[in-house]
Amino acid sequence: MARRWLDYKTEAWVQWCPGCGDFGILTAVHRALAELDLDPRRVVVVGGIGCASRSVYYVKGSNFHAIHGRAIPVASGVKLANPELTVLVMGGDGDLLGIGGGHFVALGRRNIDVTVIIHDNAVYGLTKGQAGPTLPVGVKTKALPYPNVHDRVNPLILAYASGYTFIARGYAYHVNQLKDIIKAAIQHKGAAVVDILQPCPTYNDIMTKEWYEERIYYLADEDPTWDPRIRGPEDYHKIPRIIEKMVEFGDRIPLGIFYQDLTRDTLEERLERQMPGYLKAPPAVRPISINGKPPVHPFKVFKDKLIET
Amino acid sequence: MVDLSFIIGGPQGGGVESAGQITLKAFVVKGYNVLGTREYHSNIMGAHSYYHVRVSEGPVRALRLPVDLVIAIDAESVLTHINDVRSGGYIVYDADSVDVDATKIASMEPSLRNRLRRLFEGMGLKPTVGSAVKVAEERGVKTVGLPLKDLLKRVSELTGAPIASIAKTVNVIGLTAGLYLLGVDLNSVARAIELQFGGRPKIVASNVAAAKVAYEFMLKTVGSVRELPEGPHRGRVRMLASGNEVVAMAKIVGGLTFETFYPITPASDEAFYIEENKYVDLGELTKIMELEGAPIVVLQTEDEIAAINMAIGAAAAGARAATSTSGPGFSLMNEAISLAVEAEIPVVVTLWMRAGPSTGIATRTGQQDLLHAIFSGHGDTPKIVVASGDHVEAFYDAIKAFNWAEAFQTPVIHLLDKYLASTMTVLDEWDLDVSRVEISRGKRVLSHSDSYKRYELTDDGISPFAPIGTATMVVSGLEHDEYGFASEDPVDREVMVEKRLRKFETIARSIPETEKLVLHGDPDARVTLVSFGSTKQVILSALEELERDGVKANFLQLRVLSPFPSESVSKILSRADKVICVEANSLGQLAFLIRAHTGYEVKHLIQKFNARPLYDVEVVYGVKKILSEGVRRVVVSGGA
Repeated sequence: MARRWLDYKTEAWVQWCPGCGDFGILTAVHRALAELDLDPRRVVVVGGIGCASRSVYYVKGSNFHAIHGRAIPVASGVKLANPELTVLVMGGDGDLLGIGGGHFVALGRRNIDVTVIIHDNAVYGLTKGQAGPTLPVGVKTKALPYPNVHDRVNPLILAYASGYTFIARGYAYHVNQLKDIIKAAIQHKGAAVVDILQPCPTYNDIMTKEWYEERIYYLADEDPTWDPRIRGPEDYHKIPRIIEKMVEFGDRIPLGIFYQDLTRDTLEERLERQMPGYLKAPPAVRPISINGKPPVHPFKVFKDKLIET
Repeated sequence: MVDLSFIIGGPQGGGVESAGQITLKAFVVKGYNVLGTREYHSNIMGAHSYYHVRVSEGPVRALRLPVDLVIAIDAESVLTHINDVRSGGYIVYDADSVDVDATKIASMEPSLRNRLRRLFEGMGLKPTVGSAVKVAEERGVKTVGLPLKDLLKRVSELTGAPIASIAKTVNVIGLTAGLYLLGVDLNSVARAIELQFGGRPKIVASNVAAAKVAYEFMLKTVGSVRELPEGPHRGRVRMLASGNEVVAMAKIVGGLTFETFYPITPASDEAFYIEENKYVDLGELTKIMELEGAPIVVLQTEDEIAAINMAIGAAAAGARAATSTSGPGFSLMNEAISLAVEAEIPVVVTLWMRAGPSTGIATRTGQQDLLHAIFSGHGDTPKIVVASGDHVEAFYDAIKAFNWAEAFQTPVIHLLDKYLASTMTVLDEWDLDVSRVEISRGKRVLSHSDSYKRYELTDDGISPFAPIGTATMVVSGLEHDEYGFASEDPVDREVMVEKRLRKFETIARSIPETEKLVLHGDPDARVTLVSFGSTKQVILSALEELERDGVKANFLQLRVLSPFPSESVSKILSRADKVICVEANSLGQLAFLIRAHTGYEVKHLIQKFNARPLYDVEVVYGVKKILSEGVRRVVVSGGA
């Protein structure tokens, strides 16, 4: 029998503030997993630190609550050790693009088949509202003593420059559309990022529900022929338009799947080419000993170090 | 009894490392035991580097200063090592360099230039190679000037190659001339060259030609010398490998399936060697998998933070996972060490110490990260720290580290240093006896009910370990309940802290005392030296020397430094009249640790922190000075 979205809920009390965008994201993830009918024991949610990263307790899976900014390397380790698992990273913009920014870039370069879900509310909620890396310059949210002196990073452009092969943006309160985007991201083979605009009703009094809803629109609504897929050189002409849309963030903010590169190998595939059988006998499952002993004497293996006297 | 020591010096990038390795191979071929280490600057090309070698029929425990022979491929090497050769020994140098003035050698450290200037000025001499040779000769050193330019010309004629393309063979000209003086025959040098450059016939040919030219020159100018007899270790296959390589081999045959690293001296060569061998045939194991090789994921990460976190992810998923680094990288790993303690992750960190603080001297040795390793990570973070004394111990420890990590679901820090990393030694098949090694994975479970408790409370503090991907669970760095769900409840908190403490007690109980410490020598000796890590063989060598001089001492080698074997250490130290800590750091970290755990105050220290290896003669000197003068602390300073 196919699984229902309730099958992915856990017993834990969801401790986000009332009205938090995280709830929409969580529901969208539950539903996406249910529609994909994935075995919760084979789904791995990895979180860093922050409100969003608490999702590890709210999605039924074989999960890992890591440390601040390091969800991506932990998730990468899990995935490369056992490539058959479905691995999701859930974290905030501060966790993934601030303290964890270097790892965000590295995942794109590697194109490991991991889905990164950014709960993007432009503030650090758990520590009471400091500026997040996606908060625009000059904005003074209510917890800030002065307007923000840093400018915002553009997660989509950063993802593109880093080499992510699936780049999308969703909106936390549009659960249905978001579920479809997350589903597509999980199904995509390669590093996928879904940047989710998410009002923080407690700390971000500027980028509110109303603020977003005046601005957002879907790429496919504006242009029914919108097709983000890059299948080969014949599609390269789409890239300037894709980047133009990624850059758009002001009076109008586009949502949807911006970019999906189907031409690039995943790291797993690259490893399989170097080590045929890696996918069949990955690090987490392959045998390591014979009858509880090392399989072979070093002299039989490391012959480049041997000298006949 | 053959016991030879020599140094080969030259500019970095000038083939000093190859030259050193060729000499080691030549002596192995001749049937001797060898030990050779590489000392080098953090520089790609031009700075002074040297290879220090000791050769013997018996076990070679330590490098020795002064040496019998200095082979100086350039002017800087003559001047740098002028005092490293004993009277009666030899210096082989470039005869064309006699007029080179130390104060004009740009690559030489300004402080050394000044020291040399003062030294020679004091004797009324200019600080030139010529003066250095003269001074050496005056104190009984025999010198041989090689007309390197002419000899290269000769190599060019012999090979038909232009001088520019064979200029690199000066290292082989130098080493052959040097080995000639030690009585090594041309055939052994040629064999060593083949072993070094095997598979590259052109390079072999030009270097063999260079060796021939050097040999003929020496025969003509020095005359025949007594040939070195064949050593006792002939007629079998032996292995020549560095500490980095031995640890890499141990990990591979010991079940490593996932290794991460960020480039850092002196750890990277270990990861490199693993990567070279990430898909090798491991016999029966490869057969069972029906593959050509046993796959190991080896990944260079964006930084050390990623390296350890990725290894942690892989370990949680069930891989036998490790990362390797040095002090600065380990600093970056600290937060994740704490995660691995809280989340109970079996991960191994191979920590190759080098000279700090900060970047310090990146390519030189030291033992300054003992306390760093033990106290790494915030919060109460007990972990296993094991220190290897030599290549053979490093081999077994590297495998044991995995077993302990998995048995106790804890980070294990395998503590080594730059000296072991870049020291090559010769090993026999029986030294790496894998038949006496177990591979065990602790309380690993692969199938279980829906209500798996990742942190189930047990008597020994160790929960059944189901890899991620086999059951629903949360592996958590937050304080948690038995299922791994975050909990700030005071009772949950206390219960979990107690669980981890109980686990640490289990660790302390389960590791046999014989694996935690070794008392070498006569247990009733009145003098006890205490140390850890790569000083082991140096101290053992010093003990022999001391005994010859009528000083009876034993040596307490600490192998497992966390959990600390307090009772045994207490017992052993209280038996001695004099206890001396030998360590390559300035704070007396081991002495501190001993006092913290046992209350015993070690009153005497032999310390070295000039970032050069420890020599047995220094230990002998230090012990005698302490015994005769009762000084608290002797700082030894050998090495260029």
